[in-house]
Amino acid sequence: MRVTWDIFCSVVDNYGDIGVTWRLARQLVAEHECAVRLWVDDLAAFARVCPQADAQALVQWQAGVEVRHWPQPWQACEPAAVVIEAFACSLPGAYVEAMAAKAVRPLWLNLEYLSAEDWVGGCHGLPSLQPGGLQKFFFFPGFTAATGGLLREAALLAERCAFQADAAAQAAFLASLGVERLAGAQLVSLFAYENGALAEWLSLLSEGAVPTQLLVPEGRVLADVQAWLGVGPLQAGAQHRRGALQVQVLPFVEQAAYDRLLWSCELNLVRGEDSFVRAQWAGRPMLWHIYPQEEGAHWDKLEAFLAHYCASLSPQAASALRAAWHAWNAGSALAQAWPAVQAVWPELLAHAEQWCELQAARPDLARRLEQFYRNWLSYAA
Amino acid sequence: MKTAQEMKPNSVALIDGQPWLIQKAEFTKSGRNSAIVKMKLKNLLNGSKTETVYKADDKMEPVILERKEVNLSYISGDDYVFMDPEYNSYELRAEDLESVLPFIEEGMTDVCEAVFFEGKVISVDLPTTIVRQITYTENSARGDTSGKVMKTAKLSNGTEVKVADFCNIDDWIEIDTRDGSYKGRTQAPQA
Repeated sequence: MRVTWDIFCSVVDNYGDIGVTWRLARQLVAEHECAVRLWVDDLAAFARVCPQADAQALVQWQAGVEVRHWPQPWQACEPAAVVIEAFACSLPGAYVEAMAAKAVRPLWLNLEYLSAEDWVGGCHGLPSLQPGGLQKFFFFPGFTAATGGLLREAALLAERCAFQADAAAQAAFLASLGVERLAGAQLVSLFAYENGALAEWLSLLSEGAVPTQLLVPEGRVLADVQAWLGVGPLQAGAQHRRGALQVQVLPFVEQAAYDRLLWSCELNLVRGEDSFVRAQWAGRPMLWHIYPQEEGAHWDKLEAFLAHYCASLSPQAASALRAAWHAWNAGSALAQAWPAVQAVWPELLAHAEQWCELQAARPDLARRLEQFYRNWLSYAA
Repeated sequence: MKTAQEMKPNSVALIDGQPWLIQKAEFTKSGRNSAIVKMKLKNLLNGSKTETVYKADDKMEPVILERKEVNLSYISGDDYVFMDPEYNSYELRAEDLESVLPFIEEGMTDVCEAVFFEGKVISVDLPTTIVRQITYTENSARGDTSGKVMKTAKLSNGTEVKVADFCNIDDWIEIDTRDGSYKGRTQAPQA
């Protein structure tokens, strides 16, 4: 009998929350034979990351996952054996009461956002004592053995390697997006929040000796691209050339296609959490636009990741990378920092693959969640 | 009800019918992660200890505790003996004083509060601000007088605190016991 899981996702903004939970739900079904219900309060957001979904359906099956609209007010249902509140969303009170009323109480997990900060290892897996005999634990994704790891499907890296070794497959994929690779051009993907550093950087690329083909999936950064180009509203399919820079707008693609886009590019600019992790599995240099917070609370998180990521880089490469990431996240002076990045490019390229291998050597997040449940069962017995 | 963030060390929360002494509470907020409080708890009925995490806005049921003014009488190994104005003495183990232990030292004159649960002393609170003497610190290397450059200083019980670079050996300093932070240089306390 398959273990039942309920994953609750409250979409705060953008597509990171739903992107991560949808990916996790699919993997638990496909690789761990779990029966997963994904409760989503914003089905329109879900339909963006899963285009075949019906944004109006209260219940639907997608990739073996039972996707349910999270109703307001809550309607009673039998809780699963494992319950995940993703990103500290609050479970419906009646659902928590139903959990406490079960003869065999469920394992209750709060799946947190990804962070490389040191305190995460000290909090991962700790209980949070609850009334009603319920056992709740905090589960933190992360980059060290002391954390819950990263989402990574079992076959992901093998698929990536095969794809990156197959020029025809890459060309066919890009063609499916309407992209024809320009001879001799470096391919760059751009997925970011609004960013004041973009215009100067695009100008630098447009004046570069090496041509650049910039692929921009629809999203928040498009307005900045449009302003730099000095054109009207940009839509998927739009192409503009400025000197050595060719800009092409892509549709918002579903997760598997986005992976292939990352695998196709020499450099990926990513944002938030989900695309940030996927860029690491691409094994290519990246530039992360972290989710900005009031009072600069995100800077500690950025520094913590850089401390891990840069640890095995040469001082010169680490300095260049840090300067570029700081500039990009500060929204200024990326163009000034970029030549130093280009000077150490071969090292950054090799390092991106080494980092990917280092992270892939650890169990992935879905496996660790499933193992956590098994351990909890053993302990309870 | 109080939020987890409002529950301070040496307070007691009733969780699932059990009284838990909060021995330590660390607040963390970063990036998009929810603000959390990591706590060290001691069960006052069976003595078991656990580390836990709560969302900062999780609700907790505080237990009203009896408190009484006490002074440190003496320290004997891991035993700390306090005395109230009626000369009743209360003995606590070092492990019961976790959150305040770094600032307890022989001869201290701070008026503390012993905390009682069902008539039994369970811990001691220090005043929010205490005055301590630096027993060792390196000389100021840069001659900074702004108070923004910090260095490490040692107290008589070995506790290390970050102090302003201009502080010297034998200087008296004010410390905030809630987070162990240096507040400023001051005069020696009146005998």
